[in-house]
Amino acid sequence: MGPAIELKDASLTLNGVELLPKINAYFNPGQLHAITGANGSGKSSLIKIILGLAAHQGQVERHWQGADQSAQAQQIAYVPQQTAFEASLPISVKEFLLASLTRRPFFAWQKKADLNQVHALLQRVGMQDKGHLRLGELSGGERQRLLFAQALERNALFWCLDEPMTGLDQQAQELINKEIMGLREQGATLLVIHHDPDWVAQYADQVWCVDNGLYIQGDQP
Amino acid sequence: MDALRELVFGLQQAGYLPEMFRYGFLTNALVASLIVGPLLGALGPLVVVKRLAFFSEAVGHGALTGVALGILLGEPATQPLAALFAFCVVFAVLLHWIKSRTQIPYDALVGVFLAFAIALGASLLLYVAKKVNVHILENVLFGSILTVKDQDLLVMFILALVCIVLMAFSGNRALISSLVPDLAKVRGIKVRFYDYVFVLLIALITVASVKIIGSILVGALLLVPAASARMISRTGREFFWISILFATLSCLLGIILPMAGALPIPSGAAIVLVASSGFVISLIIRRWRSLV
Repeated sequence: MGPAIELKDASLTLNGVELLPKINAYFNPGQLHAITGANGSGKSSLIKIILGLAAHQGQVERHWQGADQSAQAQQIAYVPQQTAFEASLPISVKEFLLASLTRRPFFAWQKKADLNQVHALLQRVGMQDKGHLRLGELSGGERQRLLFAQALERNALFWCLDEPMTGLDQQAQELINKEIMGLREQGATLLVIHHDPDWVAQYADQVWCVDNGLYIQGDQP
Repeated sequence: MDALRELVFGLQQAGYLPEMFRYGFLTNALVASLIVGPLLGALGPLVVVKRLAFFSEAVGHGALTGVALGILLGEPATQPLAALFAFCVVFAVLLHWIKSRTQIPYDALVGVFLAFAIALGASLLLYVAKKVNVHILENVLFGSILTVKDQDLLVMFILALVCIVLMAFSGNRALISSLVPDLAKVRGIKVRFYDYVFVLLIALITVASVKIIGSILVGALLLVPAASARMISRTGREFFWISILFATLSCLLGIILPMAGALPIPSGAAIVLVASSGFVISLIIRRWRSLV
């Protein structure tokens, strides 16, 4: 099962500007937590604090269950909101995934088994025919699916997804949704930033709202 | 190296090689090219991906100051390696350290360092010019095939080995760190550590290449072959190998052509002119492909 996440007086201040006030929260393990809130309210900053990507005040603790805690701590997957890759950069989708999952350098000949693994990952996000494209040739939705594919490779039990459905067509949304539900069934802890109230109401075990603090939906002062 | 020089001399005497190969310094310069060319070509794509082209240019100009400092501190004028290495490494690491701790735009910061390096170098050269032959300074600025010694080749060879090992073991991590830094951090990649390793490599390779290409133009050879390769490559692997091919050919032809034509052109200038021709050829290929 995925970890529980506990925030103790966690806050974020950048250049003297308070981006997130002190937050105390406990995310139950093995559940899908939807994080909602207006643009600029600090949802992405919250995820970055939890992942240790932003220098913050206070404490963030991950409580893993089971014996091999150090190995489990490596099982973290992150799907960021990705701005565009440079258009003319000659790095292909396939190479990006290979560089993510193998230590064999991207400029060397690749093993068939690794190429098969990449193909399987792309298939899971409906991009099996896009492996040859340059990163810069991908649309916003395709970039998002690619980042989801690289995260899938980790077999992680703790997932942070920053608006994973942004820019996806209906078919792609269904594919990604199926994967997210599969992860929940496996007992992963999922923190998902999402703007669609219908999706949140249908799938989230717990809904959190970022609004000058972090509250369970309905508990805002 | 003596055995190789004798072999080349023997082949020339037997009529298998042209007249110019009777000179041992040409063999040295060509061996240096075969080390430095692939090295600069291999690092070039990552310099382009990380947008560090201007940085490598600044480190090259820092080399000028390093040489002046070395001579002032009493090192031999033709071989001020310690000061050269020390100054360039400190210059590069300090620049990167300030970048990671401030929000000054990177190009502005590199511009400040570049201006400082040139100003300091120019000031020190005034003193140094009285102590040494001015041609030595010309060689530092624009490179010379006459100056490559066995000791330089050994330094280049060791650096090449370090670079190959690092590229083989951490090429993928460096690539992911450059493309999506946050993702790399979550995957446990020490992004900052790799940044410093890479910056250090650029500094060391720049210094190692100064003899043959010159401090003014060494940054160009990190950039131009990679920029040319980028235009005609569809994958990262093509990008990497074509960049190596362009850089190596530029170095070899930049040394052989002026010798063959008895042209009094500094090696660095000739190498970068050949590399620039490669850029034009890439532009034509790209244009031709878009029309087909």
